Amino acid sequence: MRTENKIKVILFFLLCSCNLVASTQNKKDSVTDITPSITLSYLSSNDTIILTANIFDRKEQGTFAIKNAVIDFSASGDKETKFLGQAIADDEGNAILKVGSANGLPKDKDGKTTYSAKFAGKGKFMPAAESFSAKAGRIIVNFSKQDSLSFIIVTATQIDSKGTIIPIQKQKAIVYVPRLFNLLKIGETELDETGTGKVEYPGKLVGDSLGNITVIARIEENDLFGNLQGRSSISWGIPKQYYLAEKPTRELWTPIAPIWMIITLVIMLTGVWAHYIYAVVQLVKIKQLSKKNQNNQL
Amino acid sequence: MENKDTKEKLLREFAPQLEKTSSATLIWILFLLGVIGWGVYAFITQVTQGHIVTGMRDNVVWGIYIVNFIFFMGMSYAGAIVSGTLHLFRTEWRKPIIRMAEYLAIISLLIGPGYILLCIGRLDRLYYLALFGRIQSPITWDVIAISTDIFGCLIFLYLSILRDIASLRDFSELKIPAWRKKIYSVLALGYTGTPEQEQRLRRATDIMATMVIAIAIIVYSVLAWIFSVTLQPGWHSTIFGPYFVIAAVYSGTAVLIIAMWVFRKVYHLELHITRKHFVAMGVVMVVLAALFGYFTFSDYLTKWYGSEKNDESLIKILFTEYYWPFIFSNYIGVLIPLLVVGIPKLRTITNISLSAIVVIVALWFNRYLIVIPTLESPYLPIQDSRPEWANYSGTWVEFALMAAGVALFCLLYTLASKFVPVMNVSEMSETPKTESPQIFKAEESLL
Repeated sequence: MRTENKIKVILFFLLCSCNLVASTQNKKDSVTDITPSITLSYLSSNDTIILTANIFDRKEQGTFAIKNAVIDFSASGDKETKFLGQAIADDEGNAILKVGSANGLPKDKDGKTTYSAKFAGKGKFMPAAESFSAKAGRIIVNFSKQDSLSFIIVTATQIDSKGTIIPIQKQKAIVYVPRLFNLLKIGETELDETGTGKVEYPGKLVGDSLGNITVIARIEENDLFGNLQGRSSISWGIPKQYYLAEKPTRELWTPIAPIWMIITLVIMLTGVWAHYIYAVVQLVKIKQLSKKNQNNQL
Repeated sequence: MENKDTKEKLLREFAPQLEKTSSATLIWILFLLGVIGWGVYAFITQVTQGHIVTGMRDNVVWGIYIVNFIFFMGMSYAGAIVSGTLHLFRTEWRKPIIRMAEYLAIISLLIGPGYILLCIGRLDRLYYLALFGRIQSPITWDVIAISTDIFGCLIFLYLSILRDIASLRDFSELKIPAWRKKIYSVLALGYTGTPEQEQRLRRATDIMATMVIAIAIIVYSVLAWIFSVTLQPGWHSTIFGPYFVIAAVYSGTAVLIIAMWVFRKVYHLELHITRKHFVAMGVVMVVLAALFGYFTFSDYLTKWYGSEKNDESLIKILFTEYYWPFIFSNYIGVLIPLLVVGIPKLRTITNISLSAIVVIVALWFNRYLIVIPTLESPYLPIQDSRPEWANYSGTWVEFALMAAGVALFCLLYTLASKFVPVMNVSEMSETPKTESPQIFKAEESLL
């Protein structure tokens, strides 16, 4: 077969295969509708309700976040539904809405509010929704000292159907202090009839430079209250000593390398490449000499 | 000074290697392509399914890929140092083997860095290295050093084959397609061997021979520093730079001996590559074996005597879990060449070649023992890490890609020998300069 014909045959097969791949891709794209899933989490912290809806597509290979999806949040009771606001999902599919307070939100006869997160659907993404019911509550964190011991006092309350504040009883509350990457659990307590529990402060916890430390008390994943949280600060921590090294030893995190390193590298690279260039120049001169010899022969 | 008749005789002898491809060679090439194909399949598997198909996990983040990278880079530097040294010393027995060392340098250098790319999880972010790389990072030193080395070795190889390319261009009896003649003509740069051209070529080759030796030492030291600048047990050693260089030249010399044996058999070069060449390379190998043994002993002795907790536990692992690979790489791999070359009766071509095979396998395990056991004994446990993640064993994907790398090395070596003779024809046709009888005597007594 002549070279020209060979090229034609190869081009033909290439075009055919490209067309085949493209048409298969189009077919796939046009017929597949995606039904997203939503999970809704609820956290009530110091009179602020934080609703987080996570929207994603579950596939065989795993779950894939649907970013930029617009999520509508609403709260409903027995009689009415109140629109709370909209949030757009981030790269991880999380749409977060903060609601000022549970006061004024519709409730059912048990005092519970149903929170809903809805995605109206767009393009190939089908609509999806999720809801969660929780009763409004509040946790207050206080501190007390008895003799040489320090205690964290956790008090949890709720509002009954008549609007009266009553204690949250017989629930487990967990106490944490925030650390660099996560919350450090320092104890847990069972709330008594007055809605109060007590955890001994462990001591030797590092706070900020002034010794202030934040304590968080939580009732977690409760059927009635969802996630309920209270936080407060006190100067019981050990003041953090910020140590600044006089001179970084390796400086990997600084934008500019140490000057001795730059000088060494420049000297070495210049030396090496100068020799390379010298060798290449010799090759060029060999070529020039051959032309000169040819001209002389002519 | 070149002897024209000798050169034509040699070209006539080597012409069939360049003109024809025997059916055995064709089968060999197809076999190598098959192995490379298996590697491509493994690579596609790795790209589509992720690095979970390898044995690497959170603790042991470097595996066979890095071992192979160090191994191939070592062979390359050995090729550069051996060819550069032999060239500069103008040793007479270098002539038939120097081209093989030059091929070894450049082919290994092209394959070695490929294993780094296989080890990287996100190849799509590779350009970050150029955008955000910092001079402070040893990884950046390595990238700069290897790329500089590739250019240096290519220039040195080109300078070394230039005279042969010109000879092939002018050799009218060579029956090759016109396009190949055209390539020779372009690459020869009009070299005709005039005194001025010869002088310039010799000057450039001498300069580059010096450079490739220096660069090889620096680059392999940089590679060693990637390990030794960390505080990991087994890696944080001040002698790692020279230790790596010695180990590299040792393994590369062994590979060169195997290449000599293979080409001698395949191309019937018994007249050119004689026992003398094998013994000479064997002596080089023995000297390197002694140095390698000395460095290894020195490194482990100081670690063991220091009794630092993590060093102690690493040495314990080496003498328990990795007992046989450790004994093989650090004892058998050193003693076999010493015995084979040291005892005159055992000093045969076959024995020296077999001991070279032992050295290659031993040195591969040596690199494995440097990389893996250290990573298997981390200072701190990783949160939520499973116990099985702390132990490494290579998967079929890694072994397939290792086999593909070796096959690609053999394929490129085979193809290179089909393009320019595996021996430096121009140098072999030169009349040797008169050397003092004492030097000849010393050489004879050595061999």
